[in-house]
Amino acid sequence: MSTSDGALQVQSMTKVFRDRGGAMVRAVDGVSFEVKRGEVLGLLGPNGAGKTTSIKCILGLMRPDSGQITLLGQDVQAAYPRILQKMSAVLEGSRNLYWRMSVWENVSFFAALHGVRSSEDQKYFGHLLKLFGLEEKRHTEVRKLSQGMKQKASVVCALARRTPLVFLDEPTLGLDVETSLELRSVLKQLAREEERTFVVSSHDMDVIQDVCGRVVIMSSGRVVVDDKVSHLMSLFRTRAYRIGLRGPASQALEERLAQAFAGVQVAYGDGDADSEVRVSLSEDGDIYRLMDILRSADAVIDEITHEEVDLEKVYLEIVREERARS
Amino acid sequence: MMIGSVLAAVFRRDWTMMKRYIVNSVSSLVSVYMIFILIFAGLQSVSGYVKTGALDGSLEGTIIGFFVWTFTIYAFSNLAWNLISEAQTGTLEQLYLAPCGFKWVGACTIISDFVFSFVPIMLLLIAMMATTGRWLRVDLVSLIPLLVITLLGAYGVGFALGGLALVFKRIQALFQIMQFVFVGLLVIPTRVPGVKYLPLALGNDLIYRTMVQGVRLWRLPIGDILTAVAVGAAYLAAGILVFAWCERVAKNRGLLGHY
Repeated sequence: MSTSDGALQVQSMTKVFRDRGGAMVRAVDGVSFEVKRGEVLGLLGPNGAGKTTSIKCILGLMRPDSGQITLLGQDVQAAYPRILQKMSAVLEGSRNLYWRMSVWENVSFFAALHGVRSSEDQKYFGHLLKLFGLEEKRHTEVRKLSQGMKQKASVVCALARRTPLVFLDEPTLGLDVETSLELRSVLKQLAREEERTFVVSSHDMDVIQDVCGRVVIMSSGRVVVDDKVSHLMSLFRTRAYRIGLRGPASQALEERLAQAFAGVQVAYGDGDADSEVRVSLSEDGDIYRLMDILRSADAVIDEITHEEVDLEKVYLEIVREERARS
Repeated sequence: MMIGSVLAAVFRRDWTMMKRYIVNSVSSLVSVYMIFILIFAGLQSVSGYVKTGALDGSLEGTIIGFFVWTFTIYAFSNLAWNLISEAQTGTLEQLYLAPCGFKWVGACTIISDFVFSFVPIMLLLIAMMATTGRWLRVDLVSLIPLLVITLLGAYGVGFALGGLALVFKRIQALFQIMQFVFVGLLVIPTRVPGVKYLPLALGNDLIYRTMVQGVRLWRLPIGDILTAVAVGAAYLAAGILVFAWCERVAKNRGLLGHY
């Protein structure tokens, strides 16, 4: 990726904390990734993977121990805090707002901290409120809003600053399905229409799969996958198989499969009903090993199909493999 | 340009908050006035005390000391409490994302706090004068600069405590202690060697001379004014240094948004 189309480059970023016993904990361990202008990047990982720490280090809210962060061609640490003109964030959802102030007062206040306050800007605030369905609540105090509306108001506050890069840390946390869908649709629209760059950190795979073009998966402070969502899905689709067996699978077969393939699942029907093996194969030769095991157990194969995968399955598979490796 | 926008935004926010928390704003002022009433009643019971005219024990000195103490408490506690409260509610990290830097947001908050506490505390002063029947000279041209000079030290303490709150979080006991320390600083006469180099003391003395003896700002000894400015600036600088150090520690340990 050339620097000209790069919005954010993070190189070898490390952040070490000391726990209460004085032991070193590498919360972020040599993390490197890039985000293109106009791209929506998903940041995934289990709790404690280092997602929020990475975001806070980029924003300058934490001091990384080493590494280089470049935003739109500028070294973030050298240009701090002026560089904040180019990025904003939702970090703790509704906690980012003054609950005793109205939605409009919050939006105006946080935007004004970025010098965004012209009449044209105010029209844009109105546009955002309309987009997020908060137009009628603009003069309502935040404390009187539902959780979903508070969450949306905090996203509006971040977007109102009109920064080219926006971090959204768990933007759909605590939202019901309908509000989450609404938020996702608006984010996609904004990414498309305004060509802003978004980094979305979430546990909600549907959000990442729906909104993000590319995903960085972190585990134990390291980046374990950095790929396009579509590529990951097709890659895992070719690896995930569902094998239908005629009749019940034996206990011995299940044990042999479990020894050979991590994460294999054997589903039984009632009595003499057919059974099913779901397995993800990571190497080319695995399919032959699988067939050998089934043949030696006298299992009769009824059908073999590629299993439909979603990002959640892909993610769980990656994290499981990563844990097994480490 | 950016600072102007931040200052205007902070003024609007604080004005809005003051209106929304009007009951709290009024009741805190009433409670301060009640404390003064209790002190005044105590003084009246020692009738000889009221009749003396010296600064160390005079009613005028008590009114001015209480007036400056109230300003001081508002100044240092607003600054430090705001930091704690913003960390608690989750807005502190958002303020740290201001491109002008948090130090300017903090500076604008101090100015706004001073402006918004000025009118209520002046009303308190009028109430105290009406209660005691001792009417002091309120020459705003002399009084406001002297108040600002006097409060520099209090802001220094506020910055230091705010910084400590970022790292250690629960330091409310220190706040209580500081309130008594400030009382001590306001009642010790400046003729005691070295006292004028402590925060508040000399400034309070200059305010006394303006309000009781009617000396205008430009008639006060220039040496005393410069000393008060230097002492205030030194404590403010020390407070800012402590804050900057604590902020660095908080950023290193990732404590900024925690409480």
